[in-house]
Amino acid sequence: MPQELFDKDFLKKLEYLDLIARRLVFGRQQALRPSDRKGASIEFKDFREYSPGDDPRTVDWSVYARLGELVIKLFRQEEELDLWVLLDTSGSMDFGEPNKFDYARRVAAALAYIGMSNMDSASVVPFTTEPERGRPGLRGRGKIFPLLDYLSDLRCGGTTELASMAKAFSRRVRRPGLVVLVSDFYGLSGACRALDQLRFFKHQIYVIQVAAPWEIDPPIRGELRLVDCETNSHEDLTITDSMLKRYRGAFERFSSELRSYGMRYSIGYAQARTEVPFDEFLLRVLQRGGLVA
Amino acid sequence: MTLLAPAALWMSLIGAAVVALYLLKIKRRRQTVPALEFWLQLAGQKQVRSLFQRLKRWVSLALWLLIVACLVMAIGNPVLSLGKTKPQAIVVIVDNSASMQTLEPSDDGLSRTRLAMAIDAVGELTSRRPISDEWLLIEAGRQPRVLAPWTMDRKTICDAAAAITPHLGSADLAPAQALAEQLLTGKERPCIVLVSDGSAGQAATLTAKNPTSVYWPIGKTSDNLGIVRLRVRADREQSAHHAYINVVNASEGHVDTQVVFELDGSTTSVEPISIDGRASWEKTIPINAPQGGVLRAWIDRSDSLVPDNEAFAVLEPVRKATVVLVAPASESFYFEQALAAMEALVDVDASRTLTVEEYDRAGPAHAGADLTIFNNCRPALLPKTGQFVFINDWPADVPAKFSGVMEGPEMSMVQRDHPLCRYVNAAAVSLARAKRVDLPERATIVARSSDGSPLIFLIEHPDRAILCLAFDVLESDLPFRNAFPLLLRNTVSYLVTQQAAVVPDQCRIADTIEPLRKLPEDVTEVAYQLQGQAADRAGAVPVRNGTFVFDRTQRAGPVRFSIGADSVYTAINLTDAAETRIEPDKAGRPPQDALALTGRLFGTVPWVALAVLATALVGVEWLTYHRRWTE
Repeated sequence: MPQELFDKDFLKKLEYLDLIARRLVFGRQQALRPSDRKGASIEFKDFREYSPGDDPRTVDWSVYARLGELVIKLFRQEEELDLWVLLDTSGSMDFGEPNKFDYARRVAAALAYIGMSNMDSASVVPFTTEPERGRPGLRGRGKIFPLLDYLSDLRCGGTTELASMAKAFSRRVRRPGLVVLVSDFYGLSGACRALDQLRFFKHQIYVIQVAAPWEIDPPIRGELRLVDCETNSHEDLTITDSMLKRYRGAFERFSSELRSYGMRYSIGYAQARTEVPFDEFLLRVLQRGGLVA
Repeated sequence: MTLLAPAALWMSLIGAAVVALYLLKIKRRRQTVPALEFWLQLAGQKQVRSLFQRLKRWVSLALWLLIVACLVMAIGNPVLSLGKTKPQAIVVIVDNSASMQTLEPSDDGLSRTRLAMAIDAVGELTSRRPISDEWLLIEAGRQPRVLAPWTMDRKTICDAAAAITPHLGSADLAPAQALAEQLLTGKERPCIVLVSDGSAGQAATLTAKNPTSVYWPIGKTSDNLGIVRLRVRADREQSAHHAYINVVNASEGHVDTQVVFELDGSTTSVEPISIDGRASWEKTIPINAPQGGVLRAWIDRSDSLVPDNEAFAVLEPVRKATVVLVAPASESFYFEQALAAMEALVDVDASRTLTVEEYDRAGPAHAGADLTIFNNCRPALLPKTGQFVFINDWPADVPAKFSGVMEGPEMSMVQRDHPLCRYVNAAAVSLARAKRVDLPERATIVARSSDGSPLIFLIEHPDRAILCLAFDVLESDLPFRNAFPLLLRNTVSYLVTQQAAVVPDQCRIADTIEPLRKLPEDVTEVAYQLQGQAADRAGAVPVRNGTFVFDRTQRAGPVRFSIGADSVYTAINLTDAAETRIEPDKAGRPPQDALALTGRLFGTVPWVALAVLATALVGVEWLTYHRRWTE
């Protein structure tokens, strides 16, 4: 297990977060969450006329005795909650100090651990333009170490295409689940299309915008050749105080628009600043609620 | 345009260094960003895409290259004379005479002397000529003087010119030009520049004679009134003096003013004068001062040239003449009677009659006599100085040779207006005979016979004046005529007045003063005192071989010499009409053209303009960069 990224201290923090999560979120609910779909639980949902082929055991005989009609009882179906942590591994994530990708991997590992320990199915799916296979369907705490190994071996690179990634993810995962999207979300229009795509497939969505301090307040000035870390394209610009001021305003607007978009469609949002320890960040997210609705 | 120092073009390589440094300066630091598009949207298309935005970054480099070009060109010393300027050997002659002290009004209200303008002209001349020129500077005062020998260092010439002090006397440009021509012998492309106000036409004349000479005129004004002559003559009969003064108006307009005469500091006379433009005024004024003194005449008017507004003259004390008559005892009667009748002129008590033997025995003891008359005799040795009258005989060293005898010549006066002929009518004088004489050319014939042979003639030397009568007075009826005492009176009056003084009564500024006759052997030094100046200056000069040389005559005023127990005066004056007429001569051709001086850029010489331009461009570059117009 790599010492730098997931050390013992990290594991201790995971345990602590898990306890907090149990008390704040899962302590109020069963591990199995009721769904709108009709199933075989013991919770009554509705009546329906009997049709040939229906299980005769579901016929409500008392109604038949009073009314002489065959009706069957319908029960609410109970199902597992699938947690999907979509982790952006594009080149833009390998940036900043503390590094955004390291931060995102810790957040992803922590969320997956919390999900696994509560008998949910947790999956971590890295993506750039398409979702990779990742580590799907992890259950039980014992799966955390293979997951950490997997995350440790992940490398950044390439460009991000959130919309195409979301389309591919929706084709692969038909059953709605809780999708936590961890990314820097550059290219807001593509991000919105991606969220729409996930929303249409009835996933619960929570977005975590990872931002390094450099991105919020870049300490640069003067004649610079700016190089895109994803495409390696460059442009010569003169960074002045006024431009930095405009940049800070624009970044704030960019984050606000992402948050507003989420609020409009009941999508959870949190900005993870990498200078804040990840456990503090997650604790604040768990306390605020919304990660598990 | 020609570069006078083309080697400076090698410094253009600095331009390559500037380009390299500039490229280093504009080399951008790489900065990796997570989303370049985000920044591009912020910067907008204008900053990146605009042609001006792309080009303006090179404006700074262009400015620096322009700065380097200006500096290289400035060091190369360009001249805007279309390649006509070639290195020359140039002698600059600066006139520092009295007229160069003329104050010239300027636009800013501050007057400057012509000498200061001449020094500026030297600076302009040297700065607008090739640096490969060779220079020499001559001061044209009373005597030409080389102030800076041949040099290619223009600063040396300018410094030497700045150190020129005014000479308050007259200047002679001809010796300076001759010296310059001598010093230019063997030089390639010689040139003489006369920086002067013209010195009353002398500069124009000199430059006209020498095609390599260029006259650089200085000054414009002509407003000046000056005393060009002040002489004093003693009137022994009246026990007074007559002062002759001549004032010249050099300006174009009419001037009404006055001349003040002061004797030993006290005003004795004030003469109103009225002079038309370009005219002169003269007058003889009686000065009743038998005791003598120093006369100062000054013009009560402020004009452009001050030194010629005053002049000095020395009034010798008026005293009666001592006459020694040397004649045989039987031939002295008429002379003694005539002399005794001239009490106003002759000191009868001091005058004596001697025989020639007595005179020869007495020797130099009689040298102090104002006049010695030899009648029908001659001394064994004629003194070198003094006034003498020889009648019918004279020593061999008198340059008048006997060539025969005339019988019964008729005498007539030649020069009626000569002082010796005043009131004398010799037409009816009968002469028994007279000696025929061959005269030197410089003799003045006062009376002659009908055939032109001189009968009375005057031979004048600086130290000695001799009047000769080529006939025996006692063999004529002259002693019985009025003409005889009148002729004697005129002789005493004229010759005694003209007696050789110890020192000249007048001299010009910067002249040397030497005694007019040998001083007594016991005099080993002569004390002097310069008077009438800010601080009287005194001293002594040594006497060697009976003479001395006094050269501290740089300023106008009287100087008193103490020779033994006697004091004598000499007045030092400017009194030069050429200096008073201050209107400068006009140059035939502008000196700037004649000297092919380089043109000007922005009103100054090109290299200065380029240096200033480079400095200004540095400022512009700094401003545009720090205001981020060109970054």
